[in-house]
Amino acid sequence: MARIQLENVTKRFGKVTALDGISLDIKDKEFFVLFGPAGAGKTTILNCIAGIQLPEEGVVKFDGEVVNLVDAAHRDTAMVFENYALYPQMTVYDNMASPLRSKLYKKDEEYIKNKVQEVAEMMKMENLLERLPSQLSNGQKQRVAMGRALVRSPRVYLMDEPLAHLDAKLRNSMRTELKAIQANFGTTSIYVTHDFMEAMSLGDRIAIVNKGKIVQIGTSDEIYYMPCNEFVAQLMGDPEINIVGGKLKKEGSGYFFTLNDVAERTYQLPEDQDLFRALDEAGLEDIELGIRPQNVKYSFEPKDDYTKCTVYSYESIGNKSVIVAEIGNLQLRMIAPNGLTVKIDQDIYVKLELDHAIFFNLETKEYVSRYNEAAVKALAAEQEG
Amino acid sequence: MAGLTIKHLYKRYDNNGKKKKGAKLNDYAVQDLNLECGQGEFIALLGPSGCGKTTTLRMTAGLETITKGEIYIGDTLVNNLHPKDRHIGLAFEDYAMYPPLTVYDNIAFNLKAKGVDKAEIDKRVREIAPLMQCDDLLDKMPVKLSGGQKQRVNIARAIIRRPELLLMDEPLSHLDGKARQAMRTEIKRLINDIKCTTVYVTHDQLEAMSLADKIAIINFGVLQQFGTPAEVYDDPVNEFVASFIGEPPMNILETTIVGDGDHFLFTFEGSDLQIKVPERYNNVVSNGFRCKMGVRPMDVLIGGPDSHGTPEKVATFENLGDERRIGVRVGETLLMLITDDETRYKAGDVIKLEVRGEKTHLFDIETGNRIRE
Repeated sequence: MARIQLENVTKRFGKVTALDGISLDIKDKEFFVLFGPAGAGKTTILNCIAGIQLPEEGVVKFDGEVVNLVDAAHRDTAMVFENYALYPQMTVYDNMASPLRSKLYKKDEEYIKNKVQEVAEMMKMENLLERLPSQLSNGQKQRVAMGRALVRSPRVYLMDEPLAHLDAKLRNSMRTELKAIQANFGTTSIYVTHDFMEAMSLGDRIAIVNKGKIVQIGTSDEIYYMPCNEFVAQLMGDPEINIVGGKLKKEGSGYFFTLNDVAERTYQLPEDQDLFRALDEAGLEDIELGIRPQNVKYSFEPKDDYTKCTVYSYESIGNKSVIVAEIGNLQLRMIAPNGLTVKIDQDIYVKLELDHAIFFNLETKEYVSRYNEAAVKALAAEQEG
Repeated sequence: MAGLTIKHLYKRYDNNGKKKKGAKLNDYAVQDLNLECGQGEFIALLGPSGCGKTTTLRMTAGLETITKGEIYIGDTLVNNLHPKDRHIGLAFEDYAMYPPLTVYDNIAFNLKAKGVDKAEIDKRVREIAPLMQCDDLLDKMPVKLSGGQKQRVNIARAIIRRPELLLMDEPLSHLDGKARQAMRTEIKRLINDIKCTTVYVTHDQLEAMSLADKIAIINFGVLQQFGTPAEVYDDPVNEFVASFIGEPPMNILETTIVGDGDHFLFTFEGSDLQIKVPERYNNVVSNGFRCKMGVRPMDVLIGGPDSHGTPEKVATFENLGDERRIGVRVGETLLMLITDDETRYKAGDVIKLEVRGEKTHLFDIETGNRIRE
């Protein structure tokens, strides 16, 4: 159990700055996710906490105590790696028992037996205990690797993409299982991933990491509904959010939005006083709107308020399908039900639900405001509490 | 352009006559495979790794000998034809480009090797490049390209020969999530434009579902089902297909049916959940009948306050942004449902669970085969 803090941590590898002034404050018992693209520096952050790497600048604190000079073995962390790193000659039982037989954390065999049994039950792998790693599937191996970390009660669990090696299906079901046992951890956990579904599902809070910097920290709802810039908005959600550029014009007390590329289309923005105030303050003429695919409506007949486009592609993905519509240089992704007969290049009429739009600054690509910001903030506050 | 017909195809790897450790004599990598791909059709060979899908593709390409059976491209039996005479285009997972050649020369290479004249080559490269969105890349070297760009060039190289048949083996599996999704859309678009008969190997059901006209699902070298995406999704022939297609997969639970001849219910060990058995099954089920019930997560719903659904505790709640997934324990199994509902549940909350009984499937407990009405 520990509160983990990083203050201004900078890590360089030769001329490359891997971490650039990272500051984090991870609460006791929190499940904290580090999320970002490959090469962002997520694993390096984890390694600095574990003590595997030493930062050039900044401090790492466990419960307020600086641990920079404490070596990895004495920081009392338990790690789970992407490649399971099991002992091939040992049974599952012995693999799981191994941390408790090490010099540092030695426990008697009776204790070990109970503990391994308890964790095996929780992970639903009591029937695997006698097997060798070579007799396990990849999903089972990963379960053992995780179980081996869980038999100890360290101050913090550090998990580095534990599900990344598994195929998409298994990854999804393992994620759900991990979610199911998560409540039993009762220990601060830091989890690295590049899969947005894992981040959204598992994290009490998520830190978005990119190019060695923290881009945003928040709950899954904050990050999904109020991304601090377009980069974050695009990371969360599949299919990716639509970003449409246009001109903003104030007339009287109302706002009008004209889509670029489709000059004849002007939309009056639905009223939202908080949003309009934020737009007044920002005073932007050029703006980009982020609209999620589920907030684009379509029709195959002309309809009021709908804009004519052509179908660029139609992909059925099982329980739903994705239509990409094209107008000028703009492509719009939208979610549709299954079983439609859609032909490529046919006409389609599209409406953007502007009352779900997220507003971004065209120049900086940063978040300006969104509809119902107050409601999103309330939701986030409720989750934190 | 031509169709592809595969008749009673078998493949056995005999390791130069030595018996592989643990292998049985009748261990076929591909076993009695029959497929028909019409002219201009796009079919996907889908299955877990090691199921024989790539072996089938390689036999079609002529890169692998055929143990038994026949492969026709158009009306021509190609069993004994040299790969170069089969008029096929190939695009593999790894791009295998010539690093010292520019993108232009890479694309043109096959035509040059065939001795096509320069003006014609140039015309065809300029024709293909915009289709694959690599017109800006033509002067670049392969090392300068991203993974997605390399795969584009790779496909351009395969289609420039105007093959009768285009064979692709996991062309997207090297790409990361975002690039993959974008490239999937591009391939869909491209095939629509060039209308080339295509066989596409993948282990990703999403790719198969979104790209193919028809999907052949293979397991342990044996064809399980061959049908349109809608058919394999809505009407799976067995438990394997049902759980392989769709994400999250179909919920499959062991059940004991109870009832009196007119009305039957699915009941589950260790749970008080009961689901109506569709009436159309009345003459195949009986009181005490044991089987497996399958239902897609989309067909499990959360009832409103006056719902008659079974009250169940939420075991897992996952907010994924675009959708929310809820898991409920039914005995040992986690029954999953997907909802767009904005409510944030916590583990332990009670929801009224409604299952669309008419959307359930029955599977044999031993064989996994569909039990039909």
